[in-house]
Amino acid sequence: MNKRAKITTGVVIGFAAVCFSWTVVSMSAQAAPGVQEGFDWSGEKIYNRYNDTPLQAMTGTDGRRTLNTFYERRQYPGSPPIVPHKVAEAFSGDTAKCISCHGRGGYDAEQDAYAPVTPHPENENCFQCHVPITTENLFVESDWESVSPSRLGRSMMGGSPPPVPHSLQLREDCIACHTGPGAVAEIRVEHGSRGNCRQCHVPQVTTTTFERNN
Amino acid sequence: MPYNKQGEKEDNMKLNRRSFIKSAAAGSAIAAAGSIFPGISFANWKEQTGSAGQITWKKAPCRFCGTGCGVLVGVSGDRAVAVKGDPNCSVNKGLCCVKGFHVVQALYGKDRLRTAKVRRGGKMVEVPVSEALDIIAAKMKQTIKETGKDSVAMYGSGQWTIPDGYVASKLFKGCIGTNNVEANARLCMASAVTGFLTSFGTDEPMGCYEDIEHADVFVTWGNNMAEMHPVLFSRMLASRKRRGNVEIIDLATRSTRSSQASDKSILFKPNTDLAVANAICYEIIRNDWVNWDFVKKHTTFHKGKTNIGYGTEDHFKFKDAPEDISFEEYKEFLSDYTPKKVEKISGVSARDIKYLASLYGDPSKKCTSFWCMGMNQHVRGTWINNLVYNIHLLTGKISTPGNSPFSLTGQPSACGTVREVGTLTHKLPHGVVMKEAHRKMAAEIWDVPLTNIDPKPTYHTVEMFRALDRGDIRFIWIQVTNPMITMPNLTRYRNGALKDDRFIVVSDVYPTPTTDVADVVLPAAMWVEQEGMYGNSERRTQHFDRIVPGPGETMSDTWQIIEVARRLGYEKQFPWGEDEYIGKIWEEYRRFHDSPKHNMAPYDVLKKRSGVQWPFVDGKETRWRFNSKYDPACKPGSEFDFYGKKDGKAWIWARPYEPAAESPDDEYDFWLNTGRVIEHWHTGTMTRRVPVLHRAVPESYVEIHPEDAMNLGVTNGEMVKIISRRGEVTMKASIDGRGKPPRGMVFVPFFDESYKINEVTLDAFCPISKQPDYKKCAVRLEKA
Repeated sequence: MNKRAKITTGVVIGFAAVCFSWTVVSMSAQAAPGVQEGFDWSGEKIYNRYNDTPLQAMTGTDGRRTLNTFYERRQYPGSPPIVPHKVAEAFSGDTAKCISCHGRGGYDAEQDAYAPVTPHPENENCFQCHVPITTENLFVESDWESVSPSRLGRSMMGGSPPPVPHSLQLREDCIACHTGPGAVAEIRVEHGSRGNCRQCHVPQVTTTTFERNN
Repeated sequence: MPYNKQGEKEDNMKLNRRSFIKSAAAGSAIAAAGSIFPGISFANWKEQTGSAGQITWKKAPCRFCGTGCGVLVGVSGDRAVAVKGDPNCSVNKGLCCVKGFHVVQALYGKDRLRTAKVRRGGKMVEVPVSEALDIIAAKMKQTIKETGKDSVAMYGSGQWTIPDGYVASKLFKGCIGTNNVEANARLCMASAVTGFLTSFGTDEPMGCYEDIEHADVFVTWGNNMAEMHPVLFSRMLASRKRRGNVEIIDLATRSTRSSQASDKSILFKPNTDLAVANAICYEIIRNDWVNWDFVKKHTTFHKGKTNIGYGTEDHFKFKDAPEDISFEEYKEFLSDYTPKKVEKISGVSARDIKYLASLYGDPSKKCTSFWCMGMNQHVRGTWINNLVYNIHLLTGKISTPGNSPFSLTGQPSACGTVREVGTLTHKLPHGVVMKEAHRKMAAEIWDVPLTNIDPKPTYHTVEMFRALDRGDIRFIWIQVTNPMITMPNLTRYRNGALKDDRFIVVSDVYPTPTTDVADVVLPAAMWVEQEGMYGNSERRTQHFDRIVPGPGETMSDTWQIIEVARRLGYEKQFPWGEDEYIGKIWEEYRRFHDSPKHNMAPYDVLKKRSGVQWPFVDGKETRWRFNSKYDPACKPGSEFDFYGKKDGKAWIWARPYEPAAESPDDEYDFWLNTGRVIEHWHTGTMTRRVPVLHRAVPESYVEIHPEDAMNLGVTNGEMVKIISRRGEVTMKASIDGRGKPPRGMVFVPFFDESYKINEVTLDAFCPISKQPDYKKCAVRLEKA
């Protein structure tokens, strides 16, 4: 039985949250000093986003964006997703254009979808990291493999707030991705009206347990 | 249509997804209660067996361009599985570009070279690497014996690690005694080097990337930074957004993404940047915006030869003859470059020229100029580098935060390996082969007789491949580069390489058009499969560990050279063990630069930090050179000290406008310009094997102005034949695509081996730097 199957079994019998959460190291950032310049330590971004976003825009989902499509557009947990829709060839990818939909989200008739909201609107050169695809073919087959994405709901106790399982680098703004109709169904929170996310959810940066050194 | 295709795929997954939504719905209700999705498996997600999501992060510089972004490589088991931008690296501060974010996937193309191959009876046969190394050494010995030491050559690149280039130079220049060492960085930054040497007497930028946060004005000279140096471009945009009063001027020959994001886009006719730069200086003097205090104390005026040729003929030779001139003579020289006159030459309006001059001339504005291939791949590349320095010197806007003429590089270690180690025919790790003192230093550190080092340079890159064609060179070993795509006037050089009695060894990681012409192919370790160092554009040396094992019998290029050196009898010069050689080589190499002008950080410091800038003096990095406030090599008491020149002064050069080697005429009526796209790097051998990058730009194309396309009767996506005096390529037209050339010009990205655009280009080069001009030749178009 491989580790994965073991985990699955563990989950089924309901112990997993406690017993196995240590096996899953999040993709999270290393603790300081490995934190990017301008990192939002105080969570200001979240407060600003919270103030700017009407409550209605933080509720509801059409359930069409799922973790399945989420990961389909990525090469590894945390990689910049491709642009999954058509964009004009001459489109330069500057923010004024991408941001018109991905800045605040909302329904787009052309795509017939709610636009996901970017957690890092301060970066202006969108095509620097996000590229559209023009073919499904490959030049040469790839041997690429990545790791399992973070599991969900890794509370230490039933009902306790789960830690943040991913790096906050470029993804510090919780409200952008975890609330509203454009959010991925499985990771959308029901309590978007509470604006101080890191009050209860803290990044998990290590899986070791405390030990005294002396 | 990919979107249909994607749609179909989504249909196939419906079942999968429907059940997923169901569980998702159930899940979201209880997610807050801490329930768990066991063993989620996602469509298209190639997952390691038994992966528990455990990742450790190791620092490295990105494999691709010369920006030198720090990445953190996520490792699980013995595989690289993820990437993050390295927040500790001051270059990119945690942000990468799409290539960097997927750089680890470049390791895992299915067709990685895992074994050595040798040509036997016209066929490539797999052999053990040790046998291939025996064959290489024997062939080198035989060739040297039969046709002399100068008939064997090494051709590397700015993708060589510093130890790769160092051992190559030591073996060829120190042990064998031939100066036949070149690198493809000759094709990408030689003009930057000769520009620095002629203006300042010492190579590499005085400024650093931190200038970006200080500058009020950016002028990008023929440089599409939004695609080619996107991380630095984003730093510019971020600075503009934060500070509000920052201006970006795109000065180029075609419209690009950079033009769209800039505050102003100014187009000039090919090669006329020389005239524009002189006109800016003319205006600066006419308006008395000259910083006289700086100019009088720190500069002198000079002129050189004119009508210097283009190097298209074999055995071309050129030597400049600098003469001192007075400021008055320089001013007189500039009278040919009034904005009005230059408007006629360049197509840039006199108004725009005056505007540019007013930005550079405004004493309250800090100005940074960026350039890369547009100015360096230029038949007058050295001159245009000189002329942009002139602007910064006349206004004293240099060597202070935000005031920086800055030459960017295209390869991860063009600076570190080629410029600093000196893997060019005339160079040594310190100085040049022509000077006895420099040869003495090398002979001593290398532990070889002084007489081993030949005082005469042999062939620069283009001439090296001409020599291979002529038969003067019989054996060439090519590492980490792909000249059978990148050489201009490619057909001649490929035919030369294919001639009988030519022996070609190629070390690479994937099959390429260059391994196709090889007699021996060595499988190389790639990037973080070996320990090494790169050096980026801003004098930053970046160490990386061996983070994952390479596949099969792959071996680092350094170790390949060491193995052959030992087989040639040079055990004494190459004594290191496999577990220590990189550190030992670094400490030996560092002795060449032991002075406040160029001191490099010790090995243990490099290992710890995400890049260290040289000169590294008393434990401190030097951010701005030639400025006594920051640079400990400056004479005490001097404000600025351009210590590269004997008199401590920077040189302002009178360099005229001269036209390109080949301009459009009645028969060949279009300019051909070549370059890159953001998704692909160099010849695409790595980036095309990264799924996201290939899927974004699967093939090359020719950008053409809509009216020219209409006259030709071609619509978007139809085939166009591009014909020059040297060759032709037929490819798809891109009209109103991501770049727009002006009327009378076409642009082709060169990465695609299916459309070898360099069979069309011309092997003309800057007579001083010997760097070819890939941006200008004459072609005609036909509807295909």
